[in-house]
Amino acid sequence: MKRVTSENVQEYLARYMEGDSTQEELRLLKEYFGNTKDLPAELRPYAQMFAVLEDKPQTPSVEALNRFAGGQVPARRQRVRLWPLVAAACIAAFAVIFLTPPKHEENMAIAYVDGKMITNQAQAMQMGQEALQEIFSNGSEEEQLTDLFNAK
Amino acid sequence: MMCVALCAFAQKGLCINDVFEGKVVLKNQMQESLIKGENLASYKLKVLHTARFTTHNNNREEVEKLFYEDMKSRLSDDDENMEMESRNGHLYYAIVQLTDSEKGAHRFICYQCKDNDRRYDITLVYMEGSASLADLRKTFKKK
Repeated sequence: MKRVTSENVQEYLARYMEGDSTQEELRLLKEYFGNTKDLPAELRPYAQMFAVLEDKPQTPSVEALNRFAGGQVPARRQRVRLWPLVAAACIAAFAVIFLTPPKHEENMAIAYVDGKMITNQAQAMQMGQEALQEIFSNGSEEEQLTDLFNAK
Repeated sequence: MMCVALCAFAQKGLCINDVFEGKVVLKNQMQESLIKGENLASYKLKVLHTARFTTHNNNREEVEKLFYEDMKSRLSDDDENMEMESRNGHLYYAIVQLTDSEKGAHRFICYQCKDNDRRYDITLVYMEGSASLADLRKTFKKK
């Protein structure tokens, strides 16, 4: 049966470092470095290395598993509180909508006569009124009679 | 330039817009007025756009056609919302309330044609505001 001894340990280590060791050889190396107490100085770092390899991964305790199964929530993540921002936005929107003075309707009175613009508001208003009076007086008997006479 | 754009906007979406834009009769051959805002408050109107011109039969028929097209959007055929007179197959006079473009804003289109020695004097009006047709009759009918 193979064993790792102080005589052949260097061979086993060389094979391990080259990646040529078998699982059995690795187990023998771990066993050697785990059990040999008076290691020469040049081999002690290997002892620490194989000790680390020997360590098994930690398994969770029964209590930890129970806590997990019981749905206990781990520590809450820190949340950014949004409601103050939302409230501020609502107040700002309210202020803009209700406190802003109503925009005055655009006022204008312009006219065009023979392609020329007339900016005199009174004159433009008069033209508009005359057009409306022309329309709304159309139903009068006098004008209907005039139209009838003119009609061919 | 801005005024031209506003003129187009006043009765946006209507066929008679072509007339106000000078596409049927040239702008320099018509008298046009555009009044908006507080100037019209006493008439319960917000917009008043008028165009008056004298033209030949082809243009009259074109304006009539556009007006009839817009009449399809009339509010109703009730006397309260519409007055209309036609002779010899031609429209001579019409006041039509259209469906509201927005709540509380009534829209009216008006047309009048008068014979003038083989030509035609045409008056075209677009109005918008809270006034009813009855209000407008009362305000603008000559005494």
